[in-house]
Parts: sequence; structure tokens; C-alpha cells
Amino acid sequence: MAANPSQATRAEAPSTGRPSTLAQYRTLLAKDLRQEFRTREMLTSMGIYALLVLVVFGAALAQSARGFDILQVSGGLIWALIVFTSLLGLNRSFSHEKEEGSLEGILLVPLDRSVIFLSKATSNLLFLAVVEIITLPLFYFFFLTGETPSSTFWMTVGPLAVGTIGITGIGTLLATITMNTRGKDVLLAVLFIPLTYPLLYACTAATTVAVLGGDIGGAYVPALALAAGYDVVMLLVSWLLYDYVVSA
Amino acid sequence: MTETTTKTTTKTSSLDRLAIPLIIVGALLTTTAFVLAFTLAPLVMGAEVDTPALIGGKMVANKLLLSQKIFYFHMPVAVTSFVALLFTAIYGVLFLAKRERRYDLNAKVATEVALVFILMTMVSGELWTRYEWGVWWVWEPRLTTYFILMLLIIGYFILRGAIDDAERRATYASVFGIIAFIDVPICFLITRMVPSSVHPVIFRTDSGLPPPMLIPLLIALFGMFCIAFGLYRTRLREQRLRERLTALKESLED
Repeated sequence: MAANPSQATRAEAPSTGRPSTLAQYRTLLAKDLRQEFRTREMLTSMGIYALLVLVVFGAALAQSARGFDILQVSGGLIWALIVFTSLLGLNRSFSHEKEEGSLEGILLVPLDRSVIFLSKATSNLLFLAVVEIITLPLFYFFFLTGETPSSTFWMTVGPLAVGTIGITGIGTLLATITMNTRGKDVLLAVLFIPLTYPLLYACTAATTVAVLGGDIGGAYVPALALAAGYDVVMLLVSWLLYDYVVSA
Repeated sequence: MTETTTKTTTKTSSLDRLAIPLIIVGALLTTTAFVLAFTLAPLVMGAEVDTPALIGGKMVANKLLLSQKIFYFHMPVAVTSFVALLFTAIYGVLFLAKRERRYDLNAKVATEVALVFILMTMVSGELWTRYEWGVWWVWEPRLTTYFILMLLIIGYFILRGAIDDAERRATYASVFGIIAFIDVPICFLITRMVPSSVHPVIFRTDSGLPPPMLIPLLIALFGMFCIAFGLYRTRLREQRLRERLTALKESLED
């Protein structure tokens, strides 16, 4: 995706025996994945947290009337779950780098700073995707087994993919900013939730249409296009500005 | 070094002398515009809804009578806040490109002015919503995106407050100012993408407004720009004097 421009500029540079951008990206990503594979810190904490959010949803919806149609709100609930879970993961994503000083080490390497952004965003994306793959069936199991969603239910995959990419892209930039501030956990939420709001709104709209089986061409596609457009703009801007943020 | 500082202070002082007169001119212009809004402008024209629409559980038909007059305050103030945020983003880019502290100060003061105008927009909009729809808040697209904009700007100041290192604060604030600006075109264009029944599309070529309504609106808009610029220069001068005072204090202590 956004790796291509940086790859192109790298290729033009005279060969000095330095590893290619793709190799750097792969190494950085492998480092994050290996660390996660050994500690399982992110996945367990995000997974447990997501499960607890589901429990809270259960308490919140326990008193609803018998005729209450959960399908109408399930799109919104899914996105509330994803936003809160991703906040937890994003907050943690830079904690090792900061505590063990490994970010300073990475910054000493002569590499394009946007590679750091792409590798970190990819690892965050993978973690969030794994957590979604585990928790969304659980959501179905807890809340939707008694219901009959529309035949277009599989189309929720579209907004889920687009939304997860956008959330991790914006979130990685903001997590890098808040890493060095006082009260970083709260600050990340303060900056992250308003900034992802348009994405959240569009993804919830598309998900709800897919669950209820509404007007696919008239509501689902425009909402998804809006979310994808916001993704492209936000990822490009984050990718461009990341150099300034990570070096500050 | 000393030469450049004296130069900048003399250059700013000529613009700063304009600040207070500009605020007064702006106040007079906006007052004139509001008077004209009640005398010159017809009761209800441009801001009509095409068909009666259900908003917040209430039918809103073509009867946005006298309360529509808030439009001559609400819309110029909102546009001014957008313009102020544009300057935040521009100064953010300038800071990242040139790494000069003054751009960060400019961006910060521009955002402060923007916040003042955002709050005025929210308050005037809320008054209208409560009066006309009988509810305090509706999750209507323009309202929501503007509310998000307000939260982003408040977040901008929280972010500034959470960083001690001046250089880092300036960088992060510039980056966030640029990202937050992305919401401005969204908020501006949302009434074109999602047809909203209460916010008519004003900026268009086939002219949504007849001249008797357009004239007060433009006077108010220009007046608001004057007030915003005056406030901006005054606050900037105050901040610079404060910086000089701290520098002087520190040098005296030595």
C-alpha cells in the first residue's frame, strides 16, 4: 500500500550494501511478532478486555424488553467493542519500546522513519485482527444466536477490514505522540476517539446495513466508500508526518 | 541576532496597533449586520426546507420564522472558526518545515481564537435547536462533525498541556493541528454529502441567497474576520510580551 513510494525512492538511491526497505520492514515486523509470540502480552490483555466489554454489554442490555431487536444496535456494539479494545492495544504497543529503550536503538539505524510507522501499524493491525477474529464469534454467540441476521451478514467483513486498517493507522501515529506525554492513556483516548469518529460512523452505518440487510447499493457502498476515503487520507497524512513525530 | 529581534518587534508593533481598531470596526460591522438582518432581510427565504422533515421527533416545515435571524450570527462565526483552524494547520506546516518557535506560537494563538469562535457557534446553534426543535441536542451530521471538531480542539490544548519539553510540544501540536484540520472540510462538505434539512448549502454558484439576505451576511462575516484577526494579534502580542518578561526575569536573576 503506502510502502511503494518509499520503496521506489530507496531503489533509486545508490547501493551502499544497506538492506532494502522491504527487508527493514520485515525485520521490524518480525521483531514485534516474535516478542508477542513469546510474551503473548497484547493478545491476552486485549482478548480478556474484549471479553469483559462483552460482559458489560450483557449487563447493559440485560433489562431490555422482550421485543427488543438487538440486530438494530449490534453494528454499533461491535464498533464500540473494537474501539475500546484497540485503545488498550495501542496504548501498550509502544510501552516496551519506551521502557527498554529499543525505540532509540531503532532510530539510530539509518532507515526511513515511515518504515517504522508501517511496521508498527502492521503489527497493531495483525493483533487487532486476531482479537476481532476471536471476539466477534463470541459476540455472535452471546447476543445473536437467537436472532436471524440478514443473508448479507457476511458483508460485515468489508467495514471490519476498512475500519480496522484506519483505526490502527491513526492509532499508531497517536500512540507515538502520547507515548512521551503525561497521562498518556487518557490522552490517547482524548485524541483518538474524536479523530476516528468519521470512520467509526461510516463503519457502523455499513455494518448495520449488512446485518439488517438494507439497501446495499444506496447505503452500504457509500458508507464503505466514505470510510475507505477517510482511511486513505488519514494513512497518507500519518505516514507523511510520522518522521517528525518519532524523531521529536 | 539582536538586530533581527528588534526588527520583528517593530514590524509586529505596526500590525499590533491595528488590532484594537480592528476589533472595534468588527464590532460595529457585526452590529450593523444584525440590525440589517432584522430590517433589510426578508423574514424567511433562502433557509427553507424543501419538504417538511421530521427532526428530533418534531415536524419542521417552512416556518423557520424569526428564529432564522440567528443565522446571521451563527454562520459567520462558524466560517471564522474554520478560517482560524486553517491558519493553525498552515502554521503547523510552517513549523515542521522551518522549526522556528514563532510559528508554533502563531498556531497556538490561532487555535485559541478558533476555540472561542467554535464555542460561540455551538452556543448559538444550541439556542436555536432548543427553541425550534424543543431538544438540546440531535445527532445531526453537521452538528456531530462540528462537535467532534470542538473535541479535537480541546484535545489539542490537553495535548499541549501534557508535554513539558517546548520543542517536542511544538512538534506534536503542529502534527495534531494538521490532522485535526482534516475534520474541517468534512464538516464543511457534510451537508453536500448527507443532505441536511436545516443547514442549507450557502456557498454555491446558483446563489442560494437573495441580495437583501446576502448583504447583512457578508457584512457580519467580514466583521467577524476583523474581530478574529484583532483578537489574534492582541493575544499574540500578549504572549510575546510574556515571553520577553520571563526572559528578562531570568537574565536579571543571573
